[in-house]
Amino acid sequence: MSSTIEVLPGRAASIAVAGEAGGAMVCDKHSLAGSVTQRACVFCGSRVVLYPIADALHVVHGPIGCAAYTWDIRGAQSSGPQLHRNSFSTDMQEMDVIYGGEKKLERALMELIEKHQPKAAFVYSTCIVGVIGDDVTAVCKKVEAAKGIPVLSVASEGFKGTKKDGYRAACEAVYTLIGTGDTKSIGPLSINLLGDFNIAGETWIIRDYFKRMGIEVVATITGDGRVDDIRRCHGAKLNLVQCAGSMTHLAKKMKEDHNIPFLKVSFFGLEDMSAALYDTAKFFGDEQLMDKAKEVVRDEIGKFYPQLRVYKEKLIGKKAAIYVGGAFKAFSLVRALRTLGMTTSIVGTQTGDKDDYAQLREMCDAGTVIVDDSNPLELAKFCLEKDVDLFIGGVKERPIAYKLGIGFCDHNHERKEALAGFVGMFNFAKEVYASCCSPVWNYVPRRARSQRPEVSGQKSDAESQTEVAS
Amino acid sequence: MRKVAIYGKGGIGKSTTTQNTVAALVEMGKRVMVVGCDPKADSTRLLLGGLAQRSVLDTLREEGEDVELADIRSKGFCSSLCVESGGPEPGVGCAGRGIITSINMLEQLGAYDEDEKLDYVFYDVLGDVVCGGFAMPIREGKAEEIYIVCSGEMMAMYAANNICKGIQKFAETGVVRLGGLICNSRQVDNEREMMTKFAERLGTQLVHFVPRENDVQRAEIQRKTVIEWNPKCKQADEYRALAKAIDANKMLVRPKPLSIQELEDLLMQYGLLG
Repeated sequence: MSSTIEVLPGRAASIAVAGEAGGAMVCDKHSLAGSVTQRACVFCGSRVVLYPIADALHVVHGPIGCAAYTWDIRGAQSSGPQLHRNSFSTDMQEMDVIYGGEKKLERALMELIEKHQPKAAFVYSTCIVGVIGDDVTAVCKKVEAAKGIPVLSVASEGFKGTKKDGYRAACEAVYTLIGTGDTKSIGPLSINLLGDFNIAGETWIIRDYFKRMGIEVVATITGDGRVDDIRRCHGAKLNLVQCAGSMTHLAKKMKEDHNIPFLKVSFFGLEDMSAALYDTAKFFGDEQLMDKAKEVVRDEIGKFYPQLRVYKEKLIGKKAAIYVGGAFKAFSLVRALRTLGMTTSIVGTQTGDKDDYAQLREMCDAGTVIVDDSNPLELAKFCLEKDVDLFIGGVKERPIAYKLGIGFCDHNHERKEALAGFVGMFNFAKEVYASCCSPVWNYVPRRARSQRPEVSGQKSDAESQTEVAS
Repeated sequence: MRKVAIYGKGGIGKSTTTQNTVAALVEMGKRVMVVGCDPKADSTRLLLGGLAQRSVLDTLREEGEDVELADIRSKGFCSSLCVESGGPEPGVGCAGRGIITSINMLEQLGAYDEDEKLDYVFYDVLGDVVCGGFAMPIREGKAEEIYIVCSGEMMAMYAANNICKGIQKFAETGVVRLGGLICNSRQVDNEREMMTKFAERLGTQLVHFVPRENDVQRAEIQRKTVIEWNPKCKQADEYRALAKAIDANKMLVRPKPLSIQELEDLLMQYGLLG
């Protein structure tokens, strides 16, 4: 199937096809004007990374929209305090812009800290704050001295770069906490989890695997995060970086300054989850630890594999499109789909780099479209051309899929189902199955036209779903 | 109503020149409003006999939206009408945005309405046009004629040339035009000749050459315009001449800013003549 949608001339170099010749993909750049990128701004990047720290105060210094649109944006869960789920804002208005927002910010911080007694406060700069030049750092210092808690300025002015620059600003801010806590009680088999945000309780699932192996998780950054844990996390012996896009910068800084090595891992899919446990055991070089890792993997896969095979039978040969934030998640999804017998027709990311794309080209089947910093029109074009059965993405991709009449799986902030860990793979398979094999897609115009003569085929699809569900 | 804005390098004497010119215009029987567009709010001190009034922005900030024209507009020398935009303290906030807000407020309140029967409104704008906010008075529907206060000093000419670039830009889409240069003399060599030539090169005219005279300073200490302080002194007549020249001026042009090299050459040519 072909489409009449054209790719903008300036975008062609950011698109490649696996198995075809071509140089390195153009990536890691500011978005092309007019392309309507799927990427968020610097501020949003900082906000999504830091906000799961549950016992900190998060104050957005800017007009109310910036706070409203990032309010509880990830659904990151907390086992204790829920302060992070508020979206505090200085609500800057005309007169605050003219006269400067520093005093208002100071008053807001004083009042909020008094009322909520947080362990630390993060202050996010928005575009207008950058334009008028409020000295946010000076206000933070002043409030920190008055209130005796760390008050951290996040230099996240929206226009300063890409979402990735926001990740970096977030890492810089949180890094000022690290190294300020007591590490005495931390044992030799200890790790930090970087870049898991406890969406639908995923951090708890992963923590449990490591606990079963006898490994101490010092801090989870930032899912179900706590300020005091972060302050002492430099006492851990290893960092596991799950969301490479957002947290590699922090891991590198901790390696430089605290000599803590890091491993890039992924907790999505059976293979990658197992590899994460094995690699950790290998790092500590402990035979017993490896045995325990094997035990965890054996138990978990034993629990879910039979059902996964049932789903696989139904899903074999289905085609998927993937568009996600970071490349590590994309790698995992390509593998996870393969586990389910599915192929990846399109895979793209918001923040991948040259090496990431080279790896995607290598691991994907020939013909797979690989794209950096895509936009709605391009994604629609590829979906139509490849006639995919499923789109895996986030909130901004959902309407693209639904408008085209394609099943959708949310693998981003808003999901309510844990998709990490072994149980996550099961949940993922269940959701992919339910979405892909729903008979409703036979009635959307795109498919209905091509399948009109085969009414009986649709019926059997509907029947088969009832069977599996029971 | 003629809508005039006065621009020029910081410290060149814009406010002094504006107020003395306005004093001469009101003396002629014209009805004039001065809008100070400087956060320091010192553009109407001589007309009012001191920094007595509250600025538009301070009033807006303290009283919210319920502001009336009488709250922000005061009567000065000879029934001249004085308004100060005001704005933030140095180093904070956005003074440019303040000017935008303040001029919009004046429009909303009907300060420019027909029934105000104004002959002139003068915008006195601080220093260089550093950002969009300070260009507010030369945007569509605001000031239509610009006079640039200048002297024979390099930096003053450089600033004047830069302001011409701004006018040129806004003239493309709007009605704003350059009315001419006003030389506020610094007694540099061949100043009058150089200013005349500079104006000609910009495609405009030297409206008036205001000689340097200590009476201006004496009047300022008394918080008065020269005309109010000593209507008979020679400098008062200079400002009367300037006011007459502006009142009679029909030459409104799109300026042709010079390149830096042309500007340097002009300085070299005239600065070394003496």
